[in-house]
Amino acid sequence: MKRWDLIVIGTGLAGLTAARTAVEMGAKVLVIGRGMGSLTLFGNTIDVLGEIPPGADMATGVADWIAVHPDHPYARMGWSGISEALNAFRELFPSPYTFDSVGRGNSLVPTGAGTMRPTYLLPITMTAGAGMSAADTLIIGLRGFKDFQGDTVSLDLQCRGVNLSLPRYGLEGLTALALARLMDEGPFRESLGEAIRRQMAGEKRIGLPAVLGLKAPADVLKTLETITGAKVFEIPMLPPSIPGTRIFHRFREFLIAKGATFLLGNPVIGADVKEGRCEGITLQNPPLLTVYRAERYILATGRFLGGGIQADRERISEPLFHLPVLQPESRGEWFRERFFQPEAHPIHRAGIVTDAELRPVDAGGRVILKNVRAAGSILAHHQMIEEHSHEGIDIATGYLAVRRALAS
Amino acid sequence: MTQADQIPPPPRHLPDLCVRCATCMAVCPVSRVTPLFPGPKQAGPGAQRFRLASQDSVDDWIELCSACRLCDTVCPAGVPISELNLLAKAKYLDERGGTLRDWLLVRIDLFGELFSRFSAIVNPLMKKRAVRWLLDKMLKIDRRRNLPAFDSPTFRQWFRDRPVVTNAAGRPRIAYFYGCFTNTNEVDVGKAAVACLEAYGYSVSVPPQRCCGIPRLGVGDLRGARKMGRRNLSLLLPTVREGTDIVFSSTSCGLMFRHEYGPLLDLPGAEELATHLFDICWFLLNRHEEGQSAVRFRTLTAKAAYFAPCHLRSLNSGLPALDLLRFVPGLDIRMIEAECCGLGGLYGFKKEKYAIAEEIGKDLAKEVARMKPEVILTDCEGCRMQIRHLTGIKVLHPLQLLRDVLP
Amino acid sequence: MDLQTEVLIIGGGATGAGISRDLALRGIPSLLVEKDDFTSGASGRNQGLLHSGARYAVTDPEAARECITENRILRRIAPHCIEDTGGLFVSLPEDGHEYRANFIRACGVAGIDTEPLSAREALSMEPKLSPLMIGAVQVPDGAIDPFTLVVENARDAESRGARFLLHTEVTGLIREGLRISGARVKDRITGEEFTIAASQVINATGAWANEILSLAGLSIGIALSKGSMLITNTRLSERVINRCRPPASGDIIVPNDTVSILGTTSLRAEDLENHAVTPEEVSFLVDELSRMIPAIKGERFTRAYAGVRPLVQTAQAGDDREISRGFALIDHQSRDGLEGLITITGGKLITYRLMAEKTADFICARMGLHVPCLTHLQPLPGAGRGHTFQDRLLRLRHQIPAFRRELLCDCELVPREAVDAILREGKVRELQDILHRTRLAKGTCQGGFCVYRLLGVLNERRKEEGLGGSNRILKGFLEERWKGIRPVLWGTSLKEEELIESIYKGLFNLTPEEAATADGGHP
Repeated sequence: MKRWDLIVIGTGLAGLTAARTAVEMGAKVLVIGRGMGSLTLFGNTIDVLGEIPPGADMATGVADWIAVHPDHPYARMGWSGISEALNAFRELFPSPYTFDSVGRGNSLVPTGAGTMRPTYLLPITMTAGAGMSAADTLIIGLRGFKDFQGDTVSLDLQCRGVNLSLPRYGLEGLTALALARLMDEGPFRESLGEAIRRQMAGEKRIGLPAVLGLKAPADVLKTLETITGAKVFEIPMLPPSIPGTRIFHRFREFLIAKGATFLLGNPVIGADVKEGRCEGITLQNPPLLTVYRAERYILATGRFLGGGIQADRERISEPLFHLPVLQPESRGEWFRERFFQPEAHPIHRAGIVTDAELRPVDAGGRVILKNVRAAGSILAHHQMIEEHSHEGIDIATGYLAVRRALAS
Repeated sequence: MTQADQIPPPPRHLPDLCVRCATCMAVCPVSRVTPLFPGPKQAGPGAQRFRLASQDSVDDWIELCSACRLCDTVCPAGVPISELNLLAKAKYLDERGGTLRDWLLVRIDLFGELFSRFSAIVNPLMKKRAVRWLLDKMLKIDRRRNLPAFDSPTFRQWFRDRPVVTNAAGRPRIAYFYGCFTNTNEVDVGKAAVACLEAYGYSVSVPPQRCCGIPRLGVGDLRGARKMGRRNLSLLLPTVREGTDIVFSSTSCGLMFRHEYGPLLDLPGAEELATHLFDICWFLLNRHEEGQSAVRFRTLTAKAAYFAPCHLRSLNSGLPALDLLRFVPGLDIRMIEAECCGLGGLYGFKKEKYAIAEEIGKDLAKEVARMKPEVILTDCEGCRMQIRHLTGIKVLHPLQLLRDVLP
Repeated sequence: MDLQTEVLIIGGGATGAGISRDLALRGIPSLLVEKDDFTSGASGRNQGLLHSGARYAVTDPEAARECITENRILRRIAPHCIEDTGGLFVSLPEDGHEYRANFIRACGVAGIDTEPLSAREALSMEPKLSPLMIGAVQVPDGAIDPFTLVVENARDAESRGARFLLHTEVTGLIREGLRISGARVKDRITGEEFTIAASQVINATGAWANEILSLAGLSIGIALSKGSMLITNTRLSERVINRCRPPASGDIIVPNDTVSILGTTSLRAEDLENHAVTPEEVSFLVDELSRMIPAIKGERFTRAYAGVRPLVQTAQAGDDREISRGFALIDHQSRDGLEGLITITGGKLITYRLMAEKTADFICARMGLHVPCLTHLQPLPGAGRGHTFQDRLLRLRHQIPAFRRELLCDCELVPREAVDAILREGKVRELQDILHRTRLAKGTCQGGFCVYRLLGVLNERRKEEGLGGSNRILKGFLEERWKGIRPVLWGTSLKEEELIESIYKGLFNLTPEEAATADGGHP
């Protein structure tokens, strides 16, 4: 059986970043995902650290923030490491579908709930949202498309909103994917553009649900902007996320073209650990159990949703390598009394503790497995949901884990 | 009828695993093109909460699931969505009663042998508009769909009648499961498989075999599928037990053997067979990676595109054909970035589903038009039929191309 | 706006709505005020069990007889609110054969039909039951939908002239000497305050009885008992499953539509409005009930909730009007010398009609009227229309192919049309009202997806009225949802929670800064 240079477990942004970094360094890579990973759910923009105020310089902001959060995953690589990893990510998305920051820091972009959300790198289809104001923006909802409620968005953003029906296309009951597919086709987006133009009352920007094409988002954007004469932007909405699926597809396309092997759809259920090293992992592909072996492993299995950590009624555990999980004392302390509280629920900071090279360590700080590194949201000491740091942590730690792994 | 012939109720905890995240909604090819099917999230674990063994089926949309199984491959929670759908479909069709069309279609393996013998008559007949009109009206087999022509002699006859391989003694043995379609409609795929295996130094045998039964699953006939499974297991297990591995060139047959005989149909011996059964390209690729008896292909300067069939993704052992094709010097081989050809086996032949299958396939055709390959390669006969139908470009099994560049 | 009525009923639970209907059928005008929505108290926070009375047969034969009588009446007048599941009383080895024999005998005395089953027979009917059981007894238990029951009572009463004011809170009782002559009330949504004059005021507020009485400087002896319950993601059994032992905590599993409800605990309650289910209660219910159905240990729970039962303390109630040990009708004229006010409290959901009958009898007597009660004879409106699980299955079967349009809820398959119809009726006043009237937010994701969509539907209207700030409603909902799911967050439910939190706090950036209060989602 083939022996790989590196096996990445997990196909979220952390795992994909790790795999891509390894492939670029010439490694033979096997990527294993139980499912499609969180990009398809929440992937839209690249959040790095929402706590840095919009407009403030990200480099100094993050550096200062790390100084007071020395345990945070970002402290492992500092801003220079984070930005190196982010640049590598951006290189994967050449023109026309690029990811850029607006200015040198965070910007605020509208969401499907009519709030503004801080984020760092925006795909070209969302950039115009960053500069919107209530007065110059028209929000377009699509009648019968339930995962984006245009009236909620326009009501809360206090701008004008219109719900469009395109009866010819029978939009009622269509899914995000079905809409994105229609958008990829010229005639549909042209008629949508015309329908929007007829509704405009001098607005300079148009916000739409994030379904502007799966294959050709930049073309969709161009068509709509040409017809309406306004800046057009996508607004993130309920899962599944089309923009996130684009990111996933781009990574998969790249990895497969570069010869990486991609296994999707079965869980890794066991690891063969000997003398402080992982010798192989077992994939459960019913009725078969298949062992895959590599020199190095990246554990990027995410948190509860991804299955990287799990909880029973008593405690939180890491099911694959049985690594120690930093966690609150008892179940009663996992969550706070109210859903919305200024402090994140303590369980969010739970996770795997590592050394500077992202190797999991025990309570005494000793490395547990020499050739296993953890990356992404499974790590302890962050609160990615409240911090708005999910993608940043995935990219920075996925990148660092592989750089360190392949250097060893 | 034994108890195992009953439609098994799906394990109750399965819908409990679903976290309602909607990842499956980002891949389902059917809900991508039509609102008539609500997508895996609702049709699978969602509706499962409403299904009671003692109650009649509540949802007839289940029939629109094409059983591509892509949802299973992306679910982060490990819900076997397509299995839930399949069992629900079986129950629904059982209540509704089978149709003559389904009865005929799933027995195509039997007619195939006959048609093959009379291919000189059958093939022109099936192109006749009157015949297609009749099939369309009476059996609801869509007349716009090209019916595959029958080859004569069959693969099995060809293999039996071919000259004895002289240097076979002492070579490692391998058995080949060719599948019905290769046997009667694409004999050349079988010939290519044999040529490749022999070029890699194997002595090839063809054990007795029957239809794997996947068409029966497709129409919800679990009993029939089990019957086929039991027959195949009794025909194939002796080969495995004498120490010979089996390779298959048809992805769907392989999926049926490896995943449905065991976990779904619970047939004794399924696991033993699965352990010794390999995708033929995966098998050959591993010879390269082990460095033993690897073949050095001749140069072929061509622009080719590879399409990964859904059922190959479900087998989840990578894209071995693509990796194998990369060993051909000069071959510009790229992956077609498209999900599902739409045919879904017999699904796309059915009049009421033809339009859905066509619509799904359009996305693939668009991608092909953009890539402009000279030849398209894909492991599954259904995909080959559909891509030919959609693009008019030459479509081969990867082994057919590899056979032509063997040293 | 000041109003006037003959009888003012305070409390929109089963008792209040039942009284309203009873009076209406006797031709007596009434007006009912409820501070939230129908069934916001114990009527909506119980296990939805249509008692056969068997549970009380051994320990309280009188209550048992009351239950079976009402059980039969309800099956007649409200078949559409009942799923006739039947029930089993399961004996585990520690429960013993002796109690089982007593139980069967006592049921016979109370007039409750029983059918003894061997362990094997019971297992074939309910395969999830513990194989350790020594036997079971089948009884005519069932599942009841309290919300529909109450709404149908109200609808019928309304069609006969009764009036209802929801989200209207009593802020004071109007006292004229030794007589209560009405109440001061406040609309909790608009803030408008007004008075309602009435010749008789009925305090049917259940556990809140003393809150109302305190407005008149009175109090009665009731103990508040918190009962906590757990809801499973999928239905565990076809029938109600009881433990065949003296009534105790953690011994009933009631199937309810697509789910099962496990209950209950019994703890002295301190706070009427806030009663969180504790981790200890959850563990107790899981451990205790898994003795009957072992699979419960690994079950996925979608929610926990608690209700507060008002238990009448017999000694203190000490009133000759005490009807049974289950409930109490207290005439404050004879007890406290205050005319025009009566309190009806205690009891069980299944005896709501009887409580209403006795209350209306009393009112009639006071008014010198001799009109007989009709509620045990006259079926509720919509009695021919199905509301049960089976009916829903059948309706889905017919509807889905034709309708296949916008389903707001993917878990419970609630179409947008269902919400539009409710909005057209024009009676709902906030988001939770709509959630009460549909199965939205009752499925696996507990409203994680559908409430966002529902809010969009509401915002179509809100926009026309120039209302804003719908995020507050969303946050209010999520905060309310949190109360139910926090106690059951482990395993798959915890995964679900990460998904929902990632959507609302991450993707939608809803933050705690603006407090989630006030505007409750005025449609």
